[in-house]
Amino acid sequence: MRVVIVYSWARDTGAASVRADGSVDWRGGRTAPGEDDPAALAVARQLAEDTGGEVTGLTLGDGDASWVLARGVGSTWSVGDAPLLADDAATAGILAAAVRAIGDVDVVVVGDAAERAGVPAALAGLLGWPALLGVTAASAVGEAPGAAGTAGTAGATDGVGAADATAVRVTRPSPSGTETITAAPPLVLGVAAESGTHRAPGMKELLAARRRPVTPLTLARIGAGADDVTSRGTELPPAAPTRVFEGPPDQVAGQLVAALRAGGVL
Amino acid sequence: MSAGAGDVRPAGGPGGGAWLVVADAGWPAALRVARGTSSGVSAAVVGPRALADAVAAAGVPVLWAEPAGGTPAEAYAAPLAEQLAAERPALLVGTTHPASRALLGAAAALAGARLLTGAVAAEPTTGGTGGTDGTGGSTGAGGSAWTVRRTLLDGAVVETLDSPSPVALLVQGAGADDDAPPPAPVAGTVRPVAAAPAAMTLTTVPSAEPAGGLEDARVVVAFGRGVRSRDDVALIERLADALGAQVACSMPVADDRGWLDRSRYVGRSGRHIAPRLYLTVGISGAPQHLEGVRGAQVVAAVDQDPAARIFRVADYGVVGDLYEVVPALITALQG
Ligand SMILES: Cc1cc2nc3c(=O)[nH]c(=O)nc-3n(C[C@H](O)[C@H](O)[C@H](O)COP(=O)(O)OP(=O)(O)OC[C@H]3O[C@@H](n4cnc5c(N)ncnc54)[C@H](O)[C@@H]3O)c2cc1C
Repeated sequence: MRVVIVYSWARDTGAASVRADGSVDWRGGRTAPGEDDPAALAVARQLAEDTGGEVTGLTLGDGDASWVLARGVGSTWSVGDAPLLADDAATAGILAAAVRAIGDVDVVVVGDAAERAGVPAALAGLLGWPALLGVTAASAVGEAPGAAGTAGTAGATDGVGAADATAVRVTRPSPSGTETITAAPPLVLGVAAESGTHRAPGMKELLAARRRPVTPLTLARIGAGADDVTSRGTELPPAAPTRVFEGPPDQVAGQLVAALRAGGVL
Repeated sequence: MSAGAGDVRPAGGPGGGAWLVVADAGWPAALRVARGTSSGVSAAVVGPRALADAVAAAGVPVLWAEPAGGTPAEAYAAPLAEQLAAERPALLVGTTHPASRALLGAAAALAGARLLTGAVAAEPTTGGTGGTDGTGGSTGAGGSAWTVRRTLLDGAVVETLDSPSPVALLVQGAGADDDAPPPAPVAGTVRPVAAAPAAMTLTTVPSAEPAGGLEDARVVVAFGRGVRSRDDVALIERLADALGAQVACSMPVADDRGWLDRSRYVGRSGRHIAPRLYLTVGISGAPQHLEGVRGAQVVAAVDQDPAARIFRVADYGVVGDLYEVVPALITALQG
């Protein structure tokens, strides 16, 4: 399977600060790896490993290519002049055009970031592929659902030759437990990280990354537009209605309990 | 979807109107945004009959596709998108739930709509520049310009955006409103449609955790890294007893320290709960944690740091050392 991992495609929201007038200082507004990117990369690598396939990176703007190259991805593509857009469909439009330019892609894996929740969904829509979102793990399995007589009973890749692994099985949490969905490529997977702990690459891997190829793309070359909606700016939300009690413990404890009782919460 | 599915039209007539895309219980939040636009609202629902009935009971005409057993809602994204594009929606609204998002993404692409995340309100732009940028596509409703307000940075700011063409909005859905009466089925407003799903199978393995825990609790006390030692968990349990509450925690308490079972941590990757009261003790309020309690009615927080993020989202805050405040709370509750 040829798997594309989309990484460092949005601004680092953690680096942004809100000024007193409600405007946002994006501290230069560079793209940065999202908190879901490591989990998305792990899923991409798993699918490639299961099928003897390869992972290709894709980033937008000034996304740091060495991030994937130092994590074992052999090559990456970069749409260097892609601007940061407010419209998730427009961002997805650039990604879709790049995926088409890369060609022969079976699965696109994207970090499922809450602030950019529309991007993986719109990307799938624009490619005309199904989207499976909120995914936490994936593997390749032997047969696609709907294959004669074996719908829904596809086995794991153990004992299945790489070439036979034609479907993808994802898992994700749901309110009632764990959902498992099996589907045939082409697919877009939105991967949500479950924790923030991931191994950083060592010096050897960072050095190896420098020798790996980065293919530059431009909006013009992939035939993508970058039309966006217009922002009138940001403002602070209506004043937070938090009632804060400060003072001696007995006093504040009494105030909180009284407020909760008065509000009918207790 | 099959012919005849277009019987349900938005109140504003064909070629426009707001369409709600529903595959999960969080839809009332999306409906509020759609209604706020004062457009006629219709809905496309993929899910069990009860879900379609609930939307219809809110007074919205519903197109309904029932997923075949073992088929996820996502498998209906393409036929649903075709159906919706034919309605020339001026506005599409759905929740951030994974299946709803997949449906909305497909519909937005086919309708040539912009897709904005974090939307809290929208209104048609008067004297807008409708249809001038060419992104409306042949099926989009040209001339449909919108002004959208959306939250950014976990709600720290609100941004106002102008779109010259139809928009699809992702709205943060909360859990089902448990105080709302169960809807009575409304005859005649749910129109079943036949749709051929993509080949996908779904199985759900129920969580191993015994029922009747956090999910159903009306009051939950949650503690975080502010609690210093395992022995001190007893103090939190005494507070929970005094409140008749269940005990929950932040991720590091369960994952790194192992003081509570992993089924007890709340957040993005943990439990999603909607109690009447969520009282945090020594939890800073990281966005990943708060994601699990968006449905809580009242949030109260005890933290020694007046700048803790939790105080920006809580309804009530107590600034103080938990080792002093919690015993005082227990006394106050018993009084
Ligand atoms: C991808 C990803 C997913 C994640 N998912 C989750 C998740 O699902 N759930 C989750 O909880 N976290 C999750 N996290 C982790 C999250 O980002 C935070 O690190 C975590 O929630 C912090 O836990 P905390 O509030 O207990 O600890 P801290 O952030 O360390 O906060 C401790 C608080 O205790 C206060 N305190 C200290 N001593 C006292 C005292 N004596 N009295 C009163 N107050 C005191 C401090 O002022 C501070 O505010 C995730 C992270 C990532 C990257």
